Amino acid sequence: MTFKGSRLTAASAAFALAAAIGTTGASAQTAPSVIKIGTLYAGSGEFAVSSQAQYDGLKFWAKKVNKDGGVFVKAYNKKIPVKIVAYDDQSSTSTATTLYNQLITQDHVDLLVADFGSVLTSVAVPLAKEHNQLLVDVTGSSAGFFSNDNKYLVDLSIPSSGVWPIPLAKHLIKQGVKKVAIVYGSNDFDSSQADTLKSELKKAGITPVYDHAVPTNETNYTVLLHAAAATKPQAMVELGYMSNDVAFLKSLKSSGLHFPMVFTIFPGQFKALMEKNAGKDALAYTYSYPAPPMIKYEQVSLGLNTDQFIKAWEADGHKSAPNFVNTAGYSTGILLAKALSTAPDMKQLTIRSTLEGFSGNTSTLVGPFALSQTGAQMGERLPVAQFQPQKDGSLKTVVVYPDAMATGKAIYPAPQG
Amino acid sequence: MLKSNWSRFWPGMLVAALLALVFSVAPMGYGNTSLLFMMMTFIVLAQGLNLLYGFTGYLPFGYVGFFGTGAYAAALMVMKLHAPVWAAVLAGPLASMAIALVLGPLLRLSGAYFSIANLAASQILFFVISNPHMTGITGGPYGVKLDRIFAPTASYAAMIVLVVLTTLIAAYFRYSRFGQGLRAMADDPVSAEMSAIPVVRMRLMAWLTSAAVAGLAGAIYAWNLSVFYPDAVFSLQISIFAIVFALFGGVGTVLGPIIGAGLLYALYNAIGISAPQYFQLIYGVLIVGLVMFLPEGILSLLTRRGINVF
Repeated sequence: MTFKGSRLTAASAAFALAAAIGTTGASAQTAPSVIKIGTLYAGSGEFAVSSQAQYDGLKFWAKKVNKDGGVFVKAYNKKIPVKIVAYDDQSSTSTATTLYNQLITQDHVDLLVADFGSVLTSVAVPLAKEHNQLLVDVTGSSAGFFSNDNKYLVDLSIPSSGVWPIPLAKHLIKQGVKKVAIVYGSNDFDSSQADTLKSELKKAGITPVYDHAVPTNETNYTVLLHAAAATKPQAMVELGYMSNDVAFLKSLKSSGLHFPMVFTIFPGQFKALMEKNAGKDALAYTYSYPAPPMIKYEQVSLGLNTDQFIKAWEADGHKSAPNFVNTAGYSTGILLAKALSTAPDMKQLTIRSTLEGFSGNTSTLVGPFALSQTGAQMGERLPVAQFQPQKDGSLKTVVVYPDAMATGKAIYPAPQG
Repeated sequence: MLKSNWSRFWPGMLVAALLALVFSVAPMGYGNTSLLFMMMTFIVLAQGLNLLYGFTGYLPFGYVGFFGTGAYAAALMVMKLHAPVWAAVLAGPLASMAIALVLGPLLRLSGAYFSIANLAASQILFFVISNPHMTGITGGPYGVKLDRIFAPTASYAAMIVLVVLTTLIAAYFRYSRFGQGLRAMADDPVSAEMSAIPVVRMRLMAWLTSAAVAGLAGAIYAWNLSVFYPDAVFSLQISIFAIVFALFGGVGTVLGPIIGAGLLYALYNAIGISAPQYFQLIYGVLIVGLVMFLPEGILSLLTRRGINVF
């Protein structure tokens, strides 16, 4: 009996050991060799520059993580290298649709990151929901994407474009500007900003003296500028994508017209590139939303702070200084890494709820991370800055609003010549 | 007579049945249904363009205008009238035919003048629909959101039906007296008119049919995509693809646009997926090479050898 009992005990122990080994083996087997992050970029077309900048930021994060052996995934209790699976959508929504589907159904990516901007993100929203795949939105800032009935969407980086112009409107009002001319692109990103700007100005009893929408691919603003100048505005606000801003500033420079205040969006995100393409003269005394790394966040709870990022970026061999969209791509990566290291499993909704858990208590180099109930990003606010010429010929970015972030005073009206 | 008709049309029915079978079975082996759906969309558009260009000689650079009109007609039916999906989809061809009727006088032009005028017309449609002042009606630059009716499987099935329908129409154009009349008219309109062919009426019918096909494709596309901006359905890239695909296969035939769209779109995606960094280079060189060496389309390899192509 004793012998039988000991045999039974031994058999049980052997079974338990085998089961334990089996379990460990199964766990090792189920852990993938890489964490696949699928994304798209535009190798050409109207979104190419910004899209590739976002992609570069994400790749920079992946390279950094892989150098340390990968990202720690709590679901598998081990570090796993990251692999970015990326396709070129050429700024085309129809191509993007098939490629997003490719990433979901053929590549079976673990995480799906949207391409740059609202247009190229839009087609992924219903597709991701249909396939129960969480869509990580980086720069698709259209408020229309987010709803309570879609849990498969989360915005990790830039805030809804509708809230961007609030500081600008407040600055205009504070500056005593009464006559505002607005030219904006016929797309969701620019139109929503124009709507917010007009609505905020209306609250102060200001109605734009010139209000005109242009096609997104507009390249010649000369006629529009003369038409706007005829209304004698105190501020000329142009809301467009980068190609629009370059064309607008070039047209303004060549037209010989002068406005007391000129505002464009992208010099605050791509200052070096804008200086190169439009010229420093064209940017002098103009205003923009200064975005990280132009404005610095020294205290961050996650990842590198602004200065550390700039140094690491340069050390990584990049020829140009980092821009806002680079930081957005990187910020997305570090938030995803944090989610993977915290989420108990790899289910898409678990990752989303894990990210929600970081809301309000996390800050990265693009600012405070705060999600709305619908998954929209509400944390970051972009101030207003002016590019003021210096004696050495450079342009200094001076934050002029809000007061809490101001680094100097606005030179208004802008000197002529 | 019945037997004669059957012998003329059975190849069309066979091709249509094969297409239906292929696209019905394909999702079981290949899960990227968006790619398959887009391939069908371009087969339909290439065939729709073929109905006009291949049989009348009118090359519509702005063909995408009908596609976008169909997409927006369907979207407006859903957003404004809360219409059921079938009614929204049917509104697509009706709206594009209405636009085609308005643009009917363009058929008085010929050659490059017609193509350019048609291109301008499609741009007018785009700018009207995407105009910020139209936001309350069309959604303007904000685009439309039709998530209430989003049904990728049903819209995929509807596109299969449209592929079949378009193939049968092309077969009818190829072998009917109507189609022969169109081709006679394309060769020499004066002689055709003197032979009692109602040139204006037949040309208009081909124009309306071609527009209806694009409008129906646009409506089903809108149903499948459910969220889109005006740029997505009025993109000139859609016209260019339809033209290139039809020319690559060979216009004036039934199989040409199907082979052209099927092969080139598959290749387009294969390059885009496997070597995205060389995408435009490879695709551009390929198209230039094909146009230089096979200007009559890939099916001309057979016709040069005296083989009758369907």
